[in-house]
Amino acid sequence: MTVRKGLLALLALVATSLASADTIEMTVHGLVCGFCATGVEKTLRKNPATQDVVISLEHRLVAVTTRPGTDIADAALREALQDAGYDVKAIVRTSRTAAAIRQQISSGGG
Amino acid sequence: MTSLRHRMSRYAGMRRFGYASRFGYASRFGYASRFGCALTLFAVMTSGAGARPIAFADGVTIMSEYGAETMREYQAFYAPSYRYSFGAGHLSFKSHIPAGAPGHSHGAPSLTDTEMTHGVTYLRFNYLPKRWNLENAQANIFVWASAGQVRDGTDDLEFAGNVGGQFDYETRRVYASLRTDLHESSFFRHRIDTVQLGVAPYKHDYDTMALWFLVQARQYSGELLHHGTELSALVRLFKRKSWIEAGVTQEGRVQAMLMFNF
Repeated sequence: MTVRKGLLALLALVATSLASADTIEMTVHGLVCGFCATGVEKTLRKNPATQDVVISLEHRLVAVTTRPGTDIADAALREALQDAGYDVKAIVRTSRTAAAIRQQISSGGG
Repeated sequence: MTSLRHRMSRYAGMRRFGYASRFGYASRFGYASRFGCALTLFAVMTSGAGARPIAFADGVTIMSEYGAETMREYQAFYAPSYRYSFGAGHLSFKSHIPAGAPGHSHGAPSLTDTEMTHGVTYLRFNYLPKRWNLENAQANIFVWASAGQVRDGTDDLEFAGNVGGQFDYETRRVYASLRTDLHESSFFRHRIDTVQLGVAPYKHDYDTMALWFLVQARQYSGELLHHGTELSALVRLFKRKSWIEAGVTQEGRVQAMLMFNF
């Protein structure tokens, strides 16, 4: 009974984590020009799952927050960035909000 | 009607043809044959100040340039892929023909100074054969080809073609580019080589204004153009989808450019 409760709690925790992990953060190379990088935002916003996009040249970061209950596959993200002319080096899913990312970027963190 | 080559041969001795700086115009040295104008116009229209001709996939770029009250140019490009784009442009350009100099449609010298307005309409294809996306830098190789028709206020149309290439390298603090353009028609061939070097006083980010200071050197060579080097100083500002650039040549000629990506 204790083991079952523990497993259920663990499953609930994993489910909660997955549900709140709606930010995809990508490390991108070649991001040195804001004018050129507008294509990244335009391309990502075409995806109906995209809720917001945050781009930081300083941190070589492109972050996409998705609408609740949705996700964007890694392959689709890599293709979108390639269409914009850039290379994705790493993809990480986090629970950070777009606002939190912007705040950290503007404060010198990230 | 006098044949094209016959008219050209009549002007063959007039080698002191004024070159047109990026935003200057013909007749620096007092002569502006119609063919030289065509050549010069084409040189002007294809020698963009370091702007990349390809935005991103499904991107549209529009540009407008102004030069010293003698030149206005408008261009629009569409990029189906980040690898290539195509577009068209129109250039309006004034040339000055001093009294007594040939250059009018029928070859007869004018008794007074004359100003002519020319129109150039052209198509252009751009291709990105190679890009390096480095951790903190980007480098590119672009190539392009253009074809245009020149109308100089008469009923005559002249054709000229252009091919060119550019290598550029940039970080968020330094920019360097090397560009070459070859212009050719049935009666002329010349080349324009351009080097740009730029520095940014601070590193811009995606949501901040970018500021750049650039110097440009342009070398002209070929059969009709005046051989020489033109130097320019430029200031460049851009943020998100908007880009503005302004500068001045060593002769004090002002130039400006607006560009937008969509």
